[in-house]
Amino acid sequence: MKVLVSGAGGFLGRSVVDCLLKRGHAVRAIVRPSSSKPPWPDTVEVFRADLRVQEDMVSAFDGVDAVLHLAAATSGNEDIQFATTVVATERFLEAMAKSTVKRLIHVSSLVVYDWSKADSCMDEKTPLENNPYAMGPYTIAKIWQERVVFRFAKMHSWDLTIARPGFIWGAGHEQIAGMGRQFGRIYLLFGPFTRLPLCYVDNCADCLVTAVENPAASGEIFNILDGDDIRVWRYVREYGRRKGQRGFLLPVPYRVGLGLAQLAALTSRRLFGSKGKLPSLLTPRRFVSQFKPICFSNQKLKRTLKWKPPLSFDECLKLSFQRQNDTRAIRVHRDDA
Amino acid sequence: MVKLTGVLIGCGAIAREHLSVLAELDNVEIVAVCDISTARAEATAERFKIARSYTSHRDLLADLRPDLVHITTPPASHFPIARDCLTAGLNVFCEKPMTVRYSDFASLKQLARDKGVMLLENQQNRYHSSIQHIEQLIRSGQLGDVLEVQICLSLNIMSAQSAYVDRNAPHFGLALSGGVIGDFLPHIAYLVYMFTGKIIDVHTTWIKHKTDSPLPADEFRGLIKGERATAYVSFSGNAQPDGFLVRVVGTRMRVEANLYEPPRLIIKRARAGEPALMTLIDGIVESRQVLLGSVAGFMRKLGGTSSYDGLTEMISRTYRTIELHEPQPIPLNEIDVVAHLVDRLAATGNS
Repeated sequence: MKVLVSGAGGFLGRSVVDCLLKRGHAVRAIVRPSSSKPPWPDTVEVFRADLRVQEDMVSAFDGVDAVLHLAAATSGNEDIQFATTVVATERFLEAMAKSTVKRLIHVSSLVVYDWSKADSCMDEKTPLENNPYAMGPYTIAKIWQERVVFRFAKMHSWDLTIARPGFIWGAGHEQIAGMGRQFGRIYLLFGPFTRLPLCYVDNCADCLVTAVENPAASGEIFNILDGDDIRVWRYVREYGRRKGQRGFLLPVPYRVGLGLAQLAALTSRRLFGSKGKLPSLLTPRRFVSQFKPICFSNQKLKRTLKWKPPLSFDECLKLSFQRQNDTRAIRVHRDDA
Repeated sequence: MVKLTGVLIGCGAIAREHLSVLAELDNVEIVAVCDISTARAEATAERFKIARSYTSHRDLLADLRPDLVHITTPPASHFPIARDCLTAGLNVFCEKPMTVRYSDFASLKQLARDKGVMLLENQQNRYHSSIQHIEQLIRSGQLGDVLEVQICLSLNIMSAQSAYVDRNAPHFGLALSGGVIGDFLPHIAYLVYMFTGKIIDVHTTWIKHKTDSPLPADEFRGLIKGERATAYVSFSGNAQPDGFLVRVVGTRMRVEANLYEPPRLIIKRARAGEPALMTLIDGIVESRQVLLGSVAGFMRKLGGTSSYDGLTEMISRTYRTIELHEPQPIPLNEIDVVAHLVDRLAATGNS
């Protein structure tokens, strides 16, 4: 197959391109004009474009069998994230609508769910967040991005798969939202035994390529996660140990953290009415969406696509931190040279 | 109560500031928003509970006759949109800078006069609480004669993550004279005019401190001679921390404000007495002003008060004048003087 990958130069995008090549697919990778080309073989067609501003993108879809849409912002203010994630998607899909390509795999996120309505287990049936504006810029953008994708897919009768990965992590991206907060040498863990919906970057890429290849993925929504058996405590301990950061893990029961957030919100309402502003840690809804102790199911993924993560957590840890150490060693070597 | 109606064209970051202010006004209803991105228009309408959203301002103007049109698009599109609105006989409240070229402003001004409608540029800092306080000190005579005003804006526009230097999606400000600094010149220009009066002479210099950036310049300095006082103005894209410092020097008093941190204001008066003792008293007074101002500023942030201090007053005054059929809050001639000053400041910006 020939697959067009948007956001190919990003953290997940690079893994996806590698995986597609390994599995014998042809790749056209969309990379921003000023970004350096990742170390891909010459067989990868690089299409230089910034989806926010590129005038003519239709040619990117020429001869393509499927589109993997990964492009999105993971940082920046609300305006930047909305432009980079949502407006760019609108422009990208407008171009796709002018092509003959009908197969689209869109990478969304678990943040689109209403975590407060996930009773004990989050799966694909969990209701979606219907008040995105109470959440952060990333959530607003990802929810609107999905809305745009659904709308285009319906309008043009595309064969759509929505993939909603959990916390994607890997070399250089080990810090994840569910870890809690680090204050100097203290790691504040909210609900130390809370399960993490981890998704190692190479596993996630493997799953997305499986979705491209497997017709059973058509018209489906999947939550992508390796499993949910790793708890916050273990992840943070491994993180600190392997990063060489000696710190003190301070567990705070989830209910205590949420209670403090509720107290802060109540005080803010009393003092300032509905206009009051608090950091995300002290905003109950946003606290819940980061730390709620629930389990996360990937049963649908396993059942429908017969997928299981190729790498175990221990292997992922080894790979992730090994790569970092290798990178550091290369840097030192270069500096010495 | 019959409410005044408004519409907003352009749903980016500044539009949210307008809409947050408008949501607080009892006498105004925003009936539609417009953006070339369907998603952005719909998201804005959903968030602020606005009935209609459009992707073409011409479609909006064909359907509705609002009392005021807010234009909050990037500067290059202000002129054609404002021209369409004025031609339709609608009042216009436009974000700064109103036009990229002074000649375009001049034609909008003529059109507004011909149609007998309002044409306003957002000059919100005229109504900033700290500026209003300084004006009050001048009016009451406490400051004495104004001799000099210093307006120094520092904003970290040069960091790798900054949208201003994004090579992939060039910032809209690059279309302006002086590059992205041109986007800030109107704020500097109308504050200068407020304190110095009629502009007599202008000297500027532009510097490219970071040579590898896409900006034509990242530093700007200017010296302006006005009818009543002189002004030193600057913009720095590299100096840290961020700040919008306004310092007014009078014959009896010196006042300093950071417009990014209202309501903190530092006032230094000429005091008679033993100099060493007066220095101590000055220090104590200044510490108190800084402490109280900082606490009040922090509480404002917790209370969700917009960082665009002055915008609420500017917008509410605009609607009030429409309601009472009064002349626009900032006369068109003053907006003209400011646009002309911006033109002069920016004239050497691309050389």
